[in-house]
Amino acid sequence: MEELKNTLKQQIIESLNLEGMKPEDIEDSAPLFGEGLGLDSIDSLELMVLLERNYGIKIEDAREGRKVLESVDAMAAYIQANRKI
Amino acid sequence: MTKPIYISSASAISPQQTYEDEGLLNEIVSTDNGELYIKEPNFRKYINPVAIRRMSRLLKMGICAGMNALEQAGVEKPDGIITGTGRGSMTDTERFLLDMIELDEGALTPTSFIQSTYNSINGWLALQTKSNGYNQTYVNRGSSFELAVLDAQLLLNEGDEQQHVLAGCFDEITPDYVRVKSKIGYWKKPTVNNLELYKNSDTNGSIAGEGAAFFCLTNKPENTICSIEQLHIIQEDSIEDVSTVLQQTLAGINLNDIDIVLSGMSGDVRFQPFYDTFLSNLSDKTSVAAFKHLCGEYDTSTGFATWLATELFKQQSLPEVLAAKQGNSGSVNNILIVNHYTLNSASVILLKKN
Repeated sequence: MEELKNTLKQQIIESLNLEGMKPEDIEDSAPLFGEGLGLDSIDSLELMVLLERNYGIKIEDAREGRKVLESVDAMAAYIQANRKI
Repeated sequence: MTKPIYISSASAISPQQTYEDEGLLNEIVSTDNGELYIKEPNFRKYINPVAIRRMSRLLKMGICAGMNALEQAGVEKPDGIITGTGRGSMTDTERFLLDMIELDEGALTPTSFIQSTYNSINGWLALQTKSNGYNQTYVNRGSSFELAVLDAQLLLNEGDEQQHVLAGCFDEITPDYVRVKSKIGYWKKPTVNNLELYKNSDTNGSIAGEGAAFFCLTNKPENTICSIEQLHIIQEDSIEDVSTVLQQTLAGINLNDIDIVLSGMSGDVRFQPFYDTFLSNLSDKTSVAAFKHLCGEYDTSTGFATWLATELFKQQSLPEVLAAKQGNSGSVNNILIVNHYTLNSASVILLKKN
Protein backbone atom coordinates (compact mmCIF):
# COMPACT_ATOMS: atom_id res chain seq x y z
CA MET A 1 0.00 0.00 0.00
CA GLU A 2 2.82 2.44 0.87
CA GLU A 3 4.44 1.82 -2.51
CA LEU A 4 1.14 2.47 -4.26
CA LYS A 5 0.68 5.75 -2.36
CA ASN A 6 4.15 6.93 -3.29
CA THR A 7 3.62 6.07 -6.96
CA LEU A 8 0.25 7.80 -6.86
CA LYS A 9 1.73 10.96 -5.35
CA GLN A 10 4.38 11.05 -8.07
CA GLN A 11 1.68 10.62 -10.72
CA ILE A 12 -0.39 13.42 -9.18
CA ILE A 13 2.61 15.78 -9.20
CA GLU A 14 3.39 15.00 -12.83
CA SER A 15 -0.18 15.07 -14.07
CA LEU A 16 -1.07 18.35 -12.35
CA ASN A 17 2.39 19.88 -12.94
CA LEU A 18 2.82 20.75 -9.25
CA GLU A 19 6.17 22.47 -9.71
CA GLY A 20 8.62 22.20 -6.84
CA MET A 21 6.60 19.55 -4.96
CA LYS A 22 7.89 16.14 -3.90
CA PRO A 23 5.83 13.06 -2.94
CA GLU A 24 6.76 13.56 0.73
CA ASP A 25 5.17 17.05 0.64
CA ILE A 26 1.72 15.49 0.16
CA GLU A 27 0.22 14.06 3.33
CA ASP A 28 -1.64 10.77 2.91
CA SER A 29 -4.77 11.94 4.70
CA ALA A 30 -4.76 15.66 3.76
CA PRO A 31 -7.66 16.83 1.57
CA LEU A 32 -6.60 17.26 -2.05
CA PHE A 33 -9.17 19.98 -2.71
CA GLY A 34 -9.87 23.18 -0.80
CA GLU A 35 -7.60 23.61 2.22
CA GLY A 36 -5.09 20.85 1.44
CA LEU A 37 -3.33 21.02 -1.93
CA GLY A 38 -5.84 23.63 -3.10
CA LEU A 39 -6.78 21.78 -6.27
CA ASP A 40 -9.78 22.84 -8.38
CA SER A 41 -12.43 21.32 -10.65
CA ILE A 42 -10.13 21.01 -13.67
CA ASP A 43 -7.65 19.14 -11.49
CA SER A 44 -10.43 16.71 -10.51
CA LEU A 45 -10.96 15.94 -14.21
CA GLU A 46 -7.21 15.43 -14.63
CA LEU A 47 -7.22 13.01 -11.66
CA MET A 48 -10.14 11.05 -13.16
CA VAL A 49 -8.12 10.69 -16.36
CA LEU A 50 -5.07 9.65 -14.30
CA LEU A 51 -7.10 6.82 -12.72
CA GLU A 52 -8.40 5.67 -16.09
CA ARG A 53 -5.05 5.76 -17.89
CA ASN A 54 -2.92 4.23 -15.18
CA TYR A 55 -5.32 1.86 -13.37
CA GLY A 56 -8.15 1.24 -15.84
CA ILE A 57 -10.66 2.75 -13.41
CA LYS A 58 -13.53 4.72 -14.93
CA ILE A 59 -15.62 6.75 -12.48
CA GLU A 60 -19.03 7.56 -13.93
CA ASP A 61 -20.79 8.82 -10.78
CA ALA A 62 -19.69 12.35 -9.73
CA ARG A 63 -20.69 11.76 -6.10
CA GLU A 64 -18.53 8.64 -5.99
CA GLY A 65 -15.71 10.59 -7.63
CA ARG A 66 -15.83 13.22 -4.90
CA LYS A 67 -15.24 10.56 -2.25
CA VAL A 68 -12.55 8.76 -4.21
CA LEU A 69 -10.57 11.97 -4.79
CA GLU A 70 -10.81 13.16 -1.19
CA SER A 71 -7.21 12.31 -0.28
CA VAL A 72 -4.28 10.11 -1.30
CA ASP A 73 -5.47 7.56 1.27
CA ALA A 74 -8.93 7.43 -0.33
CA MET A 75 -7.56 7.20 -3.86
CA ALA A 76 -5.09 4.45 -2.99
CA ALA A 77 -7.77 2.39 -1.22
CA TYR A 78 -10.11 2.71 -4.19
CA ILE A 79 -7.35 1.81 -6.65
CA GLN A 80 -6.41 -1.29 -4.66
CA ALA A 81 -10.01 -2.48 -4.61
CA ASN A 82 -10.95 -1.64 -8.20
CA ARG A 83 -7.85 -1.54 -10.41
CA LYS A 84 -8.01 -3.34 -13.75
CA ILE A 85 -4.44 -2.69 -14.86
CA MET B 1 -14.46 56.61 -42.77
CA THR B 2 -12.48 55.45 -39.74
CA LYS B 3 -10.78 57.90 -37.38
CA PRO B 4 -7.22 57.35 -36.10
CA ILE B 5 -6.72 55.54 -32.82
CA TYR B 6 -3.85 55.96 -30.40
CA ILE B 7 -1.31 53.67 -28.76
CA SER B 8 -0.89 54.47 -25.04
CA SER B 9 1.50 51.65 -24.23
CA ALA B 10 3.24 48.69 -25.82
CA SER B 11 4.74 45.49 -24.48
CA ALA B 12 6.53 42.73 -26.33
CA ILE B 13 7.95 39.36 -25.41
CA SER B 14 10.23 38.33 -28.25
CA PRO B 15 13.43 36.44 -29.03
CA GLN B 16 15.26 39.65 -28.09
CA GLN B 17 15.45 41.30 -24.68
CA THR B 18 12.39 43.48 -25.25
CA TYR B 19 10.39 42.99 -22.07
CA GLU B 20 10.83 45.55 -19.33
CA ASP B 21 14.19 46.42 -20.87
CA GLU B 22 15.64 49.84 -20.37
CA GLY B 23 16.85 51.15 -23.70
CA LEU B 24 16.20 49.63 -27.08
CA LEU B 25 17.78 46.32 -28.05
CA ASN B 26 20.84 46.65 -25.85
CA GLU B 27 21.76 42.98 -26.23
CA ILE B 28 21.10 41.33 -29.56
CA VAL B 29 20.46 37.58 -29.82
CA SER B 30 22.32 35.96 -32.66
CA THR B 31 21.85 32.35 -33.75
CA ASP B 32 22.77 30.10 -36.65
CA ASN B 33 20.16 27.41 -36.07
CA GLY B 34 17.28 29.02 -37.95
CA GLU B 35 14.89 29.17 -34.99
CA LEU B 36 14.30 32.18 -32.74
CA TYR B 37 12.55 31.31 -29.47
CA ILE B 38 11.45 33.99 -27.02
CA LYS B 39 13.54 35.12 -24.07
CA GLU B 40 11.32 34.17 -21.14
CA PRO B 41 10.65 36.90 -18.57
CA ASN B 42 9.58 36.24 -14.98
CA PHE B 43 6.06 35.03 -15.75
CA ARG B 44 5.15 34.82 -12.06
CA LYS B 45 4.98 38.59 -11.79
CA TYR B 46 1.53 38.59 -13.41
CA ILE B 47 0.31 35.00 -13.03
CA ASN B 48 -0.42 33.34 -9.70
CA PRO B 49 1.41 30.08 -8.89
CA VAL B 50 -1.77 27.96 -8.87
CA ALA B 51 -2.75 29.06 -12.37
CA ILE B 52 0.72 29.10 -13.92
CA ARG B 53 1.37 25.38 -13.42
CA ARG B 54 -1.27 24.55 -16.01
CA MET B 55 -0.27 27.09 -18.61
CA SER B 56 1.74 26.51 -21.74
CA ARG B 57 4.47 28.90 -22.83
CA LEU B 58 2.20 30.78 -25.24
CA LEU B 59 -0.42 31.45 -22.59
CA LYS B 60 2.19 32.79 -20.23
CA MET B 61 3.64 34.99 -22.99
CA GLY B 62 0.28 36.44 -23.94
CA ILE B 63 -0.93 37.09 -20.41
CA CYS B 64 2.32 38.72 -19.30
CA ALA B 65 2.59 40.97 -22.37
CA GLY B 66 -1.09 41.93 -22.05
CA MET B 67 -0.95 42.68 -18.32
CA ASN B 68 2.30 44.60 -18.76
CA ALA B 69 0.78 46.80 -21.49
CA LEU B 70 -2.17 47.58 -19.21
CA GLU B 71 0.12 48.34 -16.29
CA GLN B 72 2.20 50.73 -18.40
CA ALA B 73 -0.95 52.56 -19.53
CA GLY B 74 -2.38 52.64 -16.01
CA VAL B 75 -5.53 50.85 -17.18
CA GLU B 76 -6.88 48.26 -14.75
CA LYS B 77 -10.00 47.17 -16.59
CA PRO B 78 -10.01 47.58 -20.39
CA ASP B 79 -13.28 48.21 -22.25
CA GLY B 80 -12.39 45.48 -24.73
CA ILE B 81 -9.81 42.75 -25.33
CA ILE B 82 -9.06 41.97 -28.98
CA THR B 83 -6.27 39.71 -30.15
CA GLY B 84 -4.96 37.96 -33.22
CA THR B 85 -3.07 34.71 -33.60
CA GLY B 86 -2.10 32.71 -36.63
CA ARG B 87 -2.03 29.37 -34.86
CA GLY B 88 -2.82 29.72 -31.17
CA SER B 89 -1.15 27.38 -28.72
CA MET B 90 0.71 24.87 -30.86
CA THR B 91 2.09 23.11 -27.76
CA ASP B 92 -1.38 22.35 -26.40
CA THR B 93 -2.79 21.50 -29.81
CA GLU B 94 0.00 19.03 -30.50
CA ARG B 95 -0.33 17.48 -27.03
CA PHE B 96 -4.07 17.11 -27.37
CA LEU B 97 -3.92 15.63 -30.87
CA LEU B 98 -1.13 13.21 -29.94
CA ASP B 99 -3.15 12.06 -26.90
CA MET B 100 -6.14 11.47 -29.15
CA ILE B 101 -4.06 9.22 -31.39
CA GLU B 102 -2.15 7.40 -28.67
CA LEU B 103 -5.18 6.81 -26.44
CA ASP B 104 -7.55 6.06 -29.30
CA GLU B 105 -9.73 9.07 -28.38
CA GLY B 106 -10.27 7.84 -24.82
CA ALA B 107 -9.21 9.27 -21.42
CA LEU B 108 -8.23 12.68 -22.76
CA THR B 109 -7.09 15.32 -20.29
CA PRO B 110 -9.06 18.58 -20.30
CA THR B 111 -6.22 21.07 -19.79
CA SER B 112 -4.48 20.86 -23.16
CA PHE B 113 -7.84 20.91 -24.95
CA ILE B 114 -9.04 23.99 -23.06
CA GLN B 115 -5.80 25.84 -23.70
CA SER B 116 -5.51 24.82 -27.32
CA THR B 117 -8.53 27.00 -28.10
CA TYR B 118 -7.52 30.28 -29.71
CA ASN B 119 -9.39 32.55 -27.29
CA SER B 120 -7.82 31.07 -24.17
CA ILE B 121 -5.49 34.03 -23.60
CA ASN B 122 -8.35 36.50 -24.00
CA GLY B 123 -10.31 34.56 -21.42
CA TRP B 124 -7.48 34.64 -18.91
CA LEU B 125 -6.92 38.37 -19.48
CA ALA B 126 -10.63 39.06 -19.01
CA LEU B 127 -10.72 37.04 -15.78
CA GLN B 128 -7.60 38.68 -14.46
CA THR B 129 -8.80 42.24 -15.21
CA LYS B 130 -12.49 41.50 -14.47
CA SER B 131 -13.23 42.93 -17.90
CA ASN B 132 -16.64 41.85 -19.17
CA GLY B 133 -16.55 44.03 -22.27
CA TYR B 134 -16.11 43.09 -25.91
CA ASN B 135 -13.77 40.11 -26.27
CA GLN B 136 -12.61 38.72 -29.59
CA THR B 137 -9.77 36.68 -31.09
CA TYR B 138 -8.99 36.73 -34.80
CA VAL B 139 -7.39 33.68 -36.36
CA ASN B 140 -6.62 34.69 -39.90
CA ARG B 141 -3.06 33.58 -40.57
CA GLY B 142 -0.87 36.51 -41.67
CA SER B 143 -3.63 39.09 -41.16
CA SER B 144 -4.60 38.12 -37.61
CA PHE B 145 -2.92 41.02 -35.80
CA GLU B 146 -4.07 43.55 -38.37
CA LEU B 147 -7.70 42.38 -38.09
CA ALA B 148 -7.53 42.69 -34.30
CA VAL B 149 -6.30 46.28 -34.64
CA LEU B 150 -8.95 47.05 -37.26
CA ASP B 151 -11.67 45.72 -34.96
CA ALA B 152 -10.26 47.80 -32.09
CA GLN B 153 -10.34 50.84 -34.35
CA LEU B 154 -14.00 50.24 -35.25
CA LEU B 155 -14.88 49.75 -31.58
CA LEU B 156 -13.01 52.88 -30.47
CA ASN B 157 -14.57 54.91 -33.28
CA GLU B 158 -18.06 54.15 -31.95
CA GLY B 159 -18.23 56.50 -28.97
CA ASP B 160 -17.07 59.96 -27.97
CA GLU B 161 -16.17 59.01 -24.40
CA GLN B 162 -12.63 57.77 -23.83
CA GLN B 163 -12.30 54.02 -24.09
CA HIS B 164 -9.35 51.71 -23.69
CA VAL B 165 -8.93 48.50 -25.67
CA LEU B 166 -6.22 45.94 -25.05
CA ALA B 167 -5.16 44.65 -28.47
CA GLY B 168 -2.39 42.21 -29.19
CA CYS B 169 -1.09 39.12 -30.86
CA PHE B 170 0.77 35.94 -30.04
CA ASP B 171 2.25 32.96 -31.85
CA GLU B 172 4.71 30.25 -30.91
CA ILE B 173 6.88 27.71 -32.67
CA THR B 174 7.44 24.12 -31.62
CA PRO B 175 9.98 21.63 -32.96
CA ASP B 176 7.19 19.74 -34.78
CA TYR B 177 5.82 22.94 -36.32
CA VAL B 178 9.28 23.86 -37.62
CA ARG B 179 9.78 20.34 -38.99
CA VAL B 180 6.43 20.24 -40.80
CA LYS B 181 6.82 23.72 -42.32
CA SER B 182 10.31 22.83 -43.41
CA LYS B 183 8.82 20.26 -45.78
CA ILE B 184 7.00 22.98 -47.71
CA GLY B 185 9.94 25.33 -47.97
CA TYR B 186 9.25 27.78 -45.16
CA TRP B 187 12.80 27.83 -43.84
CA LYS B 188 16.14 28.50 -45.44
CA LYS B 189 18.31 25.48 -46.29
CA PRO B 190 21.10 25.86 -45.39
CA THR B 191 20.08 28.33 -42.74
CA VAL B 192 21.82 31.65 -42.17
CA ASN B 193 22.68 33.66 -39.08
CA ASN B 194 19.58 35.64 -38.11
CA LEU B 195 21.44 38.95 -38.17
CA GLU B 196 22.31 38.32 -41.81
CA LEU B 197 18.76 37.31 -42.78
CA TYR B 198 17.60 40.24 -44.90
CA LYS B 199 20.98 40.44 -46.62
CA ASN B 200 20.59 36.83 -47.80
CA SER B 201 17.63 37.08 -50.12
CA ASP B 202 18.82 34.81 -52.92
CA THR B 203 17.18 31.58 -51.71
CA ASN B 204 13.71 30.45 -50.69
CA GLY B 205 12.60 30.52 -47.08
CA SER B 206 13.25 32.47 -43.89
CA ILE B 207 13.95 31.62 -40.24
CA ALA B 208 11.28 30.59 -37.72
CA GLY B 209 10.22 32.99 -35.00
CA GLU B 210 7.64 33.67 -32.33
CA GLY B 211 6.47 36.29 -29.87
CA ALA B 212 3.67 38.21 -28.21
CA ALA B 213 2.99 41.93 -28.47
CA PHE B 214 0.21 43.86 -26.74
CA PHE B 215 -0.93 47.47 -26.94
CA CYS B 216 -3.28 49.61 -24.94
CA LEU B 217 -5.29 51.51 -27.56
CA THR B 218 -7.55 54.48 -27.00
CA ASN B 219 -9.61 57.03 -28.93
CA LYS B 220 -8.10 60.16 -27.36
CA PRO B 221 -4.60 61.47 -28.18
CA GLU B 222 -3.61 62.70 -24.69
CA ASN B 223 -0.66 60.86 -23.10
CA THR B 224 -0.18 58.48 -26.00
CA ILE B 225 2.89 57.44 -27.97
CA CYS B 226 1.56 57.54 -31.51
CA SER B 227 -1.53 57.23 -33.65
CA ILE B 228 -2.45 54.50 -36.09
CA GLU B 229 -3.24 56.65 -39.10
CA GLN B 230 -3.80 53.98 -41.71
CA LEU B 231 -4.17 50.22 -41.73
CA HIS B 232 -4.46 48.20 -44.91
CA ILE B 233 -4.94 44.45 -45.11
CA ILE B 234 -4.34 42.73 -48.41
CA GLN B 235 -5.49 39.20 -49.19
CA GLU B 236 -5.27 38.08 -52.81
CA ASP B 237 -5.10 34.84 -54.73
CA SER B 238 -1.54 35.16 -55.96
CA ILE B 239 1.71 36.88 -55.08
CA GLU B 240 1.40 38.96 -58.26
CA ASP B 241 -2.03 40.26 -57.22
CA VAL B 242 -0.77 41.00 -53.70
CA SER B 243 2.10 43.03 -55.14
CA THR B 244 -0.21 44.94 -57.49
CA VAL B 245 -2.67 45.88 -54.70
CA LEU B 246 0.21 46.75 -52.41
CA GLN B 247 1.63 49.18 -54.97
CA GLN B 248 -1.82 50.77 -55.35
CA THR B 249 -2.09 51.10 -51.56
CA LEU B 250 1.33 52.72 -51.24
CA ALA B 251 0.41 55.14 -54.02
CA GLY B 252 -2.15 56.58 -51.60
CA ILE B 253 0.49 57.38 -48.97
CA ASN B 254 2.86 60.35 -49.15
CA LEU B 255 6.15 58.47 -48.90
CA ASN B 256 8.08 61.75 -48.64
CA ASP B 257 6.70 62.18 -45.10
CA ILE B 258 7.98 58.80 -43.93
CA ASP B 259 11.05 58.84 -41.70
CA ILE B 260 11.41 55.07 -41.36
CA VAL B 261 10.02 52.17 -43.34
CA LEU B 262 9.93 49.02 -41.21
CA SER B 263 9.95 46.35 -43.86
CA GLY B 264 9.14 42.70 -43.39
CA MET B 265 12.05 41.53 -45.54
CA SER B 266 12.34 37.89 -44.62
CA GLY B 267 15.26 36.86 -46.80
CA ASP B 268 12.91 34.88 -49.05
CA VAL B 269 13.81 35.41 -52.69
CA ARG B 270 10.16 34.98 -53.74
CA PHE B 271 9.04 38.11 -51.85
CA GLN B 272 12.12 40.31 -52.14
CA PRO B 273 11.25 41.82 -55.58
CA PHE B 274 8.22 43.50 -54.03
CA TYR B 275 10.33 45.22 -51.38
CA ASP B 276 13.03 46.13 -53.90
CA THR B 277 10.48 47.87 -56.14
CA PHE B 278 9.08 50.26 -53.56
CA LEU B 279 12.19 50.70 -51.42
CA SER B 280 14.14 51.90 -54.46
CA ASN B 281 11.62 54.72 -54.90
CA LEU B 282 12.15 56.20 -51.43
CA SER B 283 13.92 59.53 -51.00
CA ASP B 284 17.24 60.02 -49.19
CA LYS B 285 15.28 61.25 -46.17
CA THR B 286 13.68 57.88 -45.45
CA SER B 287 15.49 55.18 -43.53
CA VAL B 288 14.79 51.54 -44.27
CA ALA B 289 14.76 49.08 -41.40
CA ALA B 290 14.25 45.34 -41.21
CA PHE B 291 12.77 43.50 -38.21
CA LYS B 292 12.42 39.80 -39.01
CA HIS B 293 16.12 39.15 -38.39
CA LEU B 294 15.33 39.90 -34.72
CA CYS B 295 11.99 38.11 -34.27
CA GLY B 296 11.91 35.54 -37.08
CA GLU B 297 9.08 34.90 -39.52
CA TYR B 298 5.62 34.12 -38.12
CA ASP B 299 1.99 35.01 -38.72
CA THR B 300 1.81 37.97 -36.35
CA SER B 301 5.31 39.42 -36.66
CA THR B 302 3.80 42.85 -37.47
CA GLY B 303 2.91 43.02 -33.76
CA PHE B 304 6.64 42.98 -33.02
CA ALA B 305 7.17 45.63 -35.74
CA THR B 306 4.50 47.84 -34.19
CA TRP B 307 6.13 47.51 -30.76
CA LEU B 308 9.46 48.37 -32.40
CA ALA B 309 7.90 51.48 -33.96
CA THR B 310 6.70 52.72 -30.54
CA GLU B 311 10.25 52.32 -29.23
CA LEU B 312 11.72 54.18 -32.23
CA PHE B 313 9.35 57.08 -31.58
CA LYS B 314 10.62 57.20 -27.99
CA GLN B 315 14.30 56.88 -28.99
CA GLN B 316 14.08 59.23 -32.00
CA SER B 317 16.85 57.33 -33.76
CA LEU B 318 17.35 54.12 -35.71
CA PRO B 319 19.81 51.61 -34.16
CA GLU B 320 22.39 50.21 -36.58
CA VAL B 321 21.20 46.65 -36.00
CA LEU B 322 17.87 47.53 -37.65
CA ALA B 323 19.07 49.77 -40.44
CA ALA B 324 19.21 48.46 -43.98
CA LYS B 325 19.62 52.09 -45.07
CA GLN B 326 20.10 55.18 -42.89
CA GLY B 327 18.17 58.18 -44.16
CA ASN B 328 18.89 61.79 -43.32
CA SER B 329 15.57 62.71 -41.73
CA GLY B 330 17.08 63.40 -38.30
CA SER B 331 13.84 62.74 -36.42
CA VAL B 332 11.26 59.96 -36.19
CA ASN B 333 7.71 61.24 -36.64
CA ASN B 334 6.19 58.90 -39.23
CA ILE B 335 6.81 55.17 -39.54
CA LEU B 336 5.42 52.92 -42.23
CA ILE B 337 5.28 49.17 -41.59
CA VAL B 338 5.08 47.13 -44.78
CA ASN B 339 4.88 43.38 -44.51
CA HIS B 340 4.48 40.60 -47.02
CA TYR B 341 3.60 37.23 -45.52
CA THR B 342 3.65 33.92 -47.38
CA LEU B 343 2.18 33.86 -50.85
CA ASN B 344 -1.04 35.76 -50.56
CA SER B 345 -1.17 38.31 -47.78
CA ALA B 346 0.39 41.64 -46.94
CA SER B 347 -0.29 44.64 -44.75
CA VAL B 348 0.56 48.32 -44.48
CA ILE B 349 0.40 50.23 -41.18
CA LEU B 350 1.09 53.97 -40.96
CA LEU B 351 2.00 55.31 -37.52
CA LYS B 352 2.44 58.95 -36.54
CA LYS B 353 4.20 60.20 -33.40
CA ASN B 354 2.16 62.26 -30.95
